[in-house]
Amino acid sequence: MFSLFKAPEARTATIIAGSHDIEFTVEPGMTLLNAALASGIDWPHKCKVGSCGTCRCQVVSGAIKPYMDFSYVLTPGQLNNGYALACQSELKSDITVRVKLRHKERQNEQS
Amino acid sequence: MKLFVNARYLIVPVSSLVTILGIFLGGPLAWTGVVFFAVYTVIDTLTKDIRWRAEKDANGESFGVKQFQYLVMYIMLPVFIALQLVLAWRVFQYTSDVAIAPDSLGGVTYSSGISLVNFVGATLSAALWAGLGIIYGHELSHNRKEGFLVSRLIMALSGASHFTYAHVYNHHLDLGHESDPATAPRGRNVYAHTWLSHAGQSKFSYDLERRKLANQGKSSFSLSNRWLLGYLYSLPSIFLFVWAGGLVGLGALLVVWIIANFLLEALNFMGHYGLIRAASEPVEHRHSWDNDNIFTSWFFIEIGRQGDHHVRGETYFWELDDVGAPNYGIGYFSLFVLTLIPPLFRRYVAKLLDDWDENYASDEEVAIARQFKTVGIRS
Repeated sequence: MFSLFKAPEARTATIIAGSHDIEFTVEPGMTLLNAALASGIDWPHKCKVGSCGTCRCQVVSGAIKPYMDFSYVLTPGQLNNGYALACQSELKSDITVRVKLRHKERQNEQS
Repeated sequence: MKLFVNARYLIVPVSSLVTILGIFLGGPLAWTGVVFFAVYTVIDTLTKDIRWRAEKDANGESFGVKQFQYLVMYIMLPVFIALQLVLAWRVFQYTSDVAIAPDSLGGVTYSSGISLVNFVGATLSAALWAGLGIIYGHELSHNRKEGFLVSRLIMALSGASHFTYAHVYNHHLDLGHESDPATAPRGRNVYAHTWLSHAGQSKFSYDLERRKLANQGKSSFSLSNRWLLGYLYSLPSIFLFVWAGGLVGLGALLVVWIIANFLLEALNFMGHYGLIRAASEPVEHRHSWDNDNIFTSWFFIEIGRQGDHHVRGETYFWELDDVGAPNYGIGYFSLFVLTLIPPLFRRYVAKLLDDWDENYASDEEVAIARQFKTVGIRS
């Protein structure tokens, strides 16, 4: 109950990306996608309004606060496997996700 | 600066309240909403060459206050309900043959009873301003918290609750492509577009629900079906007007809904008329028309900055800016008048579309535009 009166905290998101993970901060009120983009991560996205599914990611651990019902865009299989739309998700805790990043990050990982 | 930036978007809320007051006071004042519409059309036309971009402070932050703007948008729901209530009250007075005479309520003198002419004025006033609910229904459709439900309820007052889902899941995804009913192809007029777009978006919204419920193993004929639920949200309006005036009441509500939906679809029509997006192309600034003269921008809470809105759909209206999208060069009110006369509108947009084909379109989009020209449709 007293958590209602606590100021929202910044959270940490970790992307599992091959040999080394990528960490970035998600400020309160910010979506996972916008936080990633603000951190210079080229997270795949297109519409940013939750209709195309391009920004989908798999939440491996931690909890998100979804803005919307993902079942219009994600398949039942994806939902059962913990997929979420990054453009429509705030963080309730620190999280770890899997996402297919675009070319830039993959190049960075290899270098 | 902060006060100015936030207060300038209050034209519709204030005008809506005055329109409600006009219907309440009765007599010729019942026409207030219609007069506003005419006056604003003149102002919009006179200010067509004045533009005002979104201001930012030294840190690049907008002066818009989110809490205030959202409060205003939420308050518009009870305002639009009040608009229907005051019209229903006039329907009751008209159908009950209440004598036309001055009366007083809390020291305010109003006309009890209403003539046929002023009843028509009250209905048209309510219809035009109910139609402007779209600008709030639209903005809130992009807020996935409580705002989404408020958007649905505002649109339900005009029998168009399907809009909220169709706008986000269909229009934003399929914009400029034939699979988007809200995009008007070259050669279509605004009257045909109203019906085609309304029916197409409603069908999309139904199919969306059906697919989702099938995935969940649920029946389409249940209250889990949000397409169905959206239309049920409109039932209180129907009950209210039938109770107030039987068939006359139903007729008045029908006029409100037809005009409100016509305005909604006219905005869709103007937003993307004749623009083409090849299926392989992402949505870019070139796939929307901007209408961003000063009066249109402030009155329509920047909904005319379609180019920026469709690329940054998550952006609040007060942060939208000029992004170099194709531009009609006039505001929504002026353009709306042109759309009412289809040959005039097509003549006006012909050169603009030629320019778009030459300077904005991709090769694939030019090829599609050429197909229209081959069958005699230039604009």
